[in-house]
Amino acid sequence: MSAPVTELDDDSPVHPGEAHSHGPTDKQYFRIFWVLVVLTALEVSTEWWPDSARNIAVPLLLFLMVVKFFLVALYFMHLKFDPKMLKRVFYAGMLFAIFVYAVALTSMNFWGDSGTTYFNDPPPVPPPPFVAGG
Amino acid sequence: MGDLLLEDVDDLEFPDDAHVTSTGISNEKLGMWVYLASDCLLFGGMISTYLIYKNRPGEIPGLAGNPNKVSEYFDIPFTSMTSFILLMSSLTMVFAVNSILRDDLSRMRLWLTSTAVLGGLFLAGQIYEFRIFVVNDSMGFTSNVASSAFFALTGLHGVHVVIGVIMLLSVLALSFGRRIRAEAVEVVGLYWHFVDIVWVLIFTIVYLIP
Repeated sequence: MSAPVTELDDDSPVHPGEAHSHGPTDKQYFRIFWVLVVLTALEVSTEWWPDSARNIAVPLLLFLMVVKFFLVALYFMHLKFDPKMLKRVFYAGMLFAIFVYAVALTSMNFWGDSGTTYFNDPPPVPPPPFVAGG
Repeated sequence: MGDLLLEDVDDLEFPDDAHVTSTGISNEKLGMWVYLASDCLLFGGMISTYLIYKNRPGEIPGLAGNPNKVSEYFDIPFTSMTSFILLMSSLTMVFAVNSILRDDLSRMRLWLTSTAVLGGLFLAGQIYEFRIFVVNDSMGFTSNVASSAFFALTGLHGVHVVIGVIMLLSVLALSFGRRIRAEAVEVVGLYWHFVDIVWVLIFTIVYLIP
């Protein structure tokens, strides 16, 4: 893909005076779409992977999710070609969200979750029975 | 007379009523990006809530409920199809934006209509999925804590899609009445792609990761 041409364009069809660049063409968008389709197909295929491959599936799914996220944000949402301020605004919100909810999930013991009904895994040990005079 | 002169000056400077801003970015576009950044926090909260409760269906006091996890009822091939539909709507949306940038109004209308139709199909798929959960699997919003978190998250995304379809149809209707600004289509496109991006996260985190 050729490097985008950035220019301050007073006749910009988007906004006068905005640093405007010519984003991808329809053909390039079509290529990106097919990349997204292939990645989604790969994601869905993990559903039928054998249990022995499950350890690889989760990191792969997370990786593919991040790649798809950035392909849509950078190209379809034009973030790659827009002024830096827009990138900062969006990434700041996104990183803040990730930080806040990583803290929330950690405080709820999500990462070591054993799937029991207790939030503080392992479940709390009940106190020993009181024995009078013991 | 004075009003007429003022209008003339405005028209000379900004023929399409856009205004120069200190940031060089239009207020509408910046506003949309700020909103999308804040929406990351909203969806982040909903996704985290689902993650915390997904393995703990629990019970809601006073209700018979369903002791199973909602993930046991997922139909992955069907949801994959609706995900593909939403992905395709993002493609038609970028075609609509490129068309208005080329001043090709008729193509822009075609692509906007296609995007709205694909959005409607996605919604129909989501309603069908919800109906199967509720009617066939007895897994409703109040069945257990995990299902409440699931329906709240996917339902909130569905509401975003409904709003997106309304925005698309509004821009489409406006394009028939007067000359529409390319930026209006671009801003609606940003919202639509964000809805797609959120689904990329939901589809992986909620549906695919066991």
